Amino acid sequence: MKQKSSYTSLLFAFLSLLLLGLTFWVIWKDEVQLRPWKSYQQEYKELKGKKLQEEYDRAKKEFDSNGNAQKLESLQAKLKAEEDFFNSREVQEKYKKLTGQLDVIGSSLAQNQKKLQETRGRFLEAEYLYIRDQKEHDKKVMQQLQGEIEELKKSRDALLERKKGIEENIDELTGEAEAIRAEIMSLHKGLDEKLAAIKGNKRTSPEIRQIHISDVGKADRCISCHAGIESSYKLSEKQPFTRHPASFIFLENHPVSEYGCTFCHQGQGRATTSPNKAHGWVDHWTEPMLRGSMTQSSCISCHGDIEGLRGAEFISKGSKLIKKYGCYGCHMIPGYEELREIGPVLAEAGTKVNYSWAVNWLQDPKTYYEAARMPKFFFSKGEAESITDYLFSMTGTTRHDTLYTDDDIDWDLAEKGKAIWRQSRCNICHTTNGKGGNHTEIHAPDLTKVGSKVTKEWLFNWIRDPKKYFPETKMPRYRFNDQELAALVEYVVSEFQDWDFEPEYEEAVPIKAESIEKGKALVEKYGCFGCHKLKGMEEMQDIAPQLRRAGTTIEGAVSTDKIGAELSSIGSKPIELLDFGKMKGKIPHERLSYVKQKLRAPRSYRDDLRMPDYRLNEDELGAVSSVLLGFTDVSRPVRYKVLAYREIERLEGESERHILSGDFEKLEKDIKCLNCHKIGNHGYNYAPDLAIAGSKLQEGWVRKFLKQPDIIRPMLKQMPRFNLDKQDGMIQGNLADSEIETVMSFFRSDLVSDDIPVSLPELVDNGTVDQVLEGKRLYDKKGCVACHQIGNAGGSVGPNLSFVGDRLTAGFIFKYLEDPQRYNPENVEPNLGFTERERVYLTRYLMSLKQE
Amino acid sequence: MLDRIKKSVIWKSIFRRDYKDTPRNRALAIFGNIFMHLHPVKVRESALKLRFTWGMGGISLFSFIILTVTGFLLMFYYHPSVEKAYWDIKDLEFQVPYGIFLRNLHRWAGHFMVIVVWLHMFRVFMTGSYKSPRQFNWAIGVILLVLTMLLSFTGYLLPWDQLGYWAIVVGTNMAAGTPLLGFEGPFSEYLGITPYNDVRFAILGGSTVGGNALLRSYVWHCVVLPLVAVVLMAVHFWRVRKDGGISGPHS
Repeated sequence: MKQKSSYTSLLFAFLSLLLLGLTFWVIWKDEVQLRPWKSYQQEYKELKGKKLQEEYDRAKKEFDSNGNAQKLESLQAKLKAEEDFFNSREVQEKYKKLTGQLDVIGSSLAQNQKKLQETRGRFLEAEYLYIRDQKEHDKKVMQQLQGEIEELKKSRDALLERKKGIEENIDELTGEAEAIRAEIMSLHKGLDEKLAAIKGNKRTSPEIRQIHISDVGKADRCISCHAGIESSYKLSEKQPFTRHPASFIFLENHPVSEYGCTFCHQGQGRATTSPNKAHGWVDHWTEPMLRGSMTQSSCISCHGDIEGLRGAEFISKGSKLIKKYGCYGCHMIPGYEELREIGPVLAEAGTKVNYSWAVNWLQDPKTYYEAARMPKFFFSKGEAESITDYLFSMTGTTRHDTLYTDDDIDWDLAEKGKAIWRQSRCNICHTTNGKGGNHTEIHAPDLTKVGSKVTKEWLFNWIRDPKKYFPETKMPRYRFNDQELAALVEYVVSEFQDWDFEPEYEEAVPIKAESIEKGKALVEKYGCFGCHKLKGMEEMQDIAPQLRRAGTTIEGAVSTDKIGAELSSIGSKPIELLDFGKMKGKIPHERLSYVKQKLRAPRSYRDDLRMPDYRLNEDELGAVSSVLLGFTDVSRPVRYKVLAYREIERLEGESERHILSGDFEKLEKDIKCLNCHKIGNHGYNYAPDLAIAGSKLQEGWVRKFLKQPDIIRPMLKQMPRFNLDKQDGMIQGNLADSEIETVMSFFRSDLVSDDIPVSLPELVDNGTVDQVLEGKRLYDKKGCVACHQIGNAGGSVGPNLSFVGDRLTAGFIFKYLEDPQRYNPENVEPNLGFTERERVYLTRYLMSLKQE
Repeated sequence: MLDRIKKSVIWKSIFRRDYKDTPRNRALAIFGNIFMHLHPVKVRESALKLRFTWGMGGISLFSFIILTVTGFLLMFYYHPSVEKAYWDIKDLEFQVPYGIFLRNLHRWAGHFMVIVVWLHMFRVFMTGSYKSPRQFNWAIGVILLVLTMLLSFTGYLLPWDQLGYWAIVVGTNMAAGTPLLGFEGPFSEYLGITPYNDVRFAILGGSTVGGNALLRSYVWHCVVLPLVAVVLMAVHFWRVRKDGGISGPHS
């Protein structure tokens, strides 16, 4: 029995020790291991302390080296002398006496003040009674009280006089001590502040810091570790002590206190126990942290327009790629619903292109043009032929090619065509042999080998009236006559030939009916109508299966959705619902990798997928993915939203149609002004913005320019000529006079700004000053010449100002100088803070720069 | 001094006897103490053997005490609302001092209690302790087992995470299949049972798992079920005493 009990006590002893050990383990775990921010904050505090100490030391050194120490010493000596004098016995006695007198006067003054108030009150009462009753008695009382008031005022003044005298005496006694003390203080102020900062830093203790946004239930504790994220100076390159990069864009527009961190960066903002948890790099956290340019995905959840948004260059690039490749043709993507199909109409393809060309093109568009927008669908030659048969069967019954050899070309005519090609500036939009195509957002076809692709007849008709073949084309209509057209076509066909082209059907071969059927089925399966208008398939999109968020097909549902998966909340799609298929285990099991892989190799998940290969490079893949992952189903409170201009216009009841109107709209549809120019939010940024052109430009200059659009700009920045006159190929005019009138009247009515004054403000008192000369002086003094050129001198960052007086209105220059970013926030010109007077001088000077 | 305190009315009202080991004091110790009242008067030495009882009844009680204490503390940090519930649980982990310890203690003790209660029942069955005169206590025990399960089930929803949410969806859909009571069960159409008046509706406070379900879970979990369990446990222990203490190998 005894033995057993000792055995039990050993067991109990062991268990007690275990419990004790566990208790300590729990304490250690909770106080240290699960609170890594404590040591981070401690480290940051030390770094900051060191930095502050360094700053203090530097300031102290500077303070000493500037002879401030001696100055301080002499001041202190002076102060001591003053204080000694003041503290001497007789001075102290005098001082006490004087202050005693001051107290007596003070209380007399207070009594006097009280009496004065009282008497004034009584006076007012008497006045009221007198006005009401008009009794002589009241008037007398009034007069008497008036006398008393005067008396009181007199005695008050006397008291004040005495007080002043005594105070002067006291000042004599205290001497300059106060002033010296103030001086010492101000001398020390900088150093004292730095010392206070050091002390303040020492006093901080580790704590969880968070940004709480109550209405969205957010508590971002990131700053518990990232202590220096908002700091104005750099303390360390090491995480988590770095500063936020480019904070002048991101943090300044999205203050951390209002936005927190996870709105943009995702991750698990509440977590404090480990970096992996906080960054959301753990299982089942559906929003892992976004870093670097991928963070821009989040812009989409609040910003309606992302193209041109500062700091959103990556998604902006992605968005442009989506537009370029027309992803919205097959996929429902929010914000891209109203864009047109990107490919040309195929209704009459049989009259346009060579059969062999089309077959090659369908198999791999890259063999024709390296940077073709059309993706590769992995068609076999047989499939490509079937599709081509189907397309050709719409206009004919044969497979046929037309080849132009040197013998078919009229070389003289081609030579004339070359001049027209140049003057029409075709290379602004079209590339040939790797040249041109400067306007990168228009995506006009490459013409390097076009002579082997299309027929002369088709090309002739196309240039004559592009809209007849393709109503929504961006190609402007040039007003060439038939001879000019023939010359241009001859030049294009002779110059841009594919010497490797091997036509198989120079002898026409009849098309087989079953091949047409097969081709039609392929067109339907792969959804060619997503990008090309096809006769009889206009409604095709409507019968494509509806692919919902969950990726499940709802059988039998009548749908208006597109052939590809809807992408409106792809960024929130649960990872379990993404079908990794054959790639499972080969790429990371997360959303970004999935989307990238889908774009990189669209058929790699399963063989029977339909998505074609766009051959995007890794950077482009990332850009497109970043946009797609921005489409989530989170909703932010309205106060964070920045509406898209389309939405704003919709709210205001405007639309593109109303931006342009009347004859000008007709003209625009013809020569496509908005292919290059911008008006409001419509059009492109290739040529100057016309939103305020009516107020900005002088009418005479505009007229001249439209007639003769040759200003000194690089060749492919020049406005093309739309009219030619045939006299020896010499250029006679551009727009017709009536069209110029149309433009001018639209400028006057729609493109003016109330902001811009018609004339400059008159300056008074300046009859003697030569304002133009003053302006020139200012121009030289402020260094405008560094960026602007006048005559032969000056930089080329800003526009050439040589003849600016012919071109711009005075009102515009005057207003522009006040705030160069007013009309274009991205403008790089610094705001030099000119006064109104200076602006008038400068404007007068600039307006004096004329050609004649 | 000490004498005076010991003779004071207050002292005597709390400590009603002295410590001399006399039969009278021993009896008074039992009479004067509610917990001792619940405890059997005598315990057989053979019944103390771990081999026989596994100590499962006592361990169940011990788990229940841990769960009560930790649960009580957890209530300080938890709001049973859709907006806050999940984040309160997250904050227990990330912000509340010893919060993760508290929560895990509650969670593991909960799992442990369910296992232990089952084992207790198993032991009672295997040793034949449910036989006369203990039939009534067996029945009480069965009810306590059901209460333990229900406590576990209602607590499952409270973190308001995917796991709990779907567990409750599945669990209450099973309830919807109950004959007569559930709208998906047999005979429901003859009785006019719909999703809006059946047993699932009563459990969830609605036809889907939402804020009402969360609140109901909370009230059942924190108030009603523990109270009923405490009362039945008192009865359970009282019956053990009345039925002649813990059953031994020979009785």
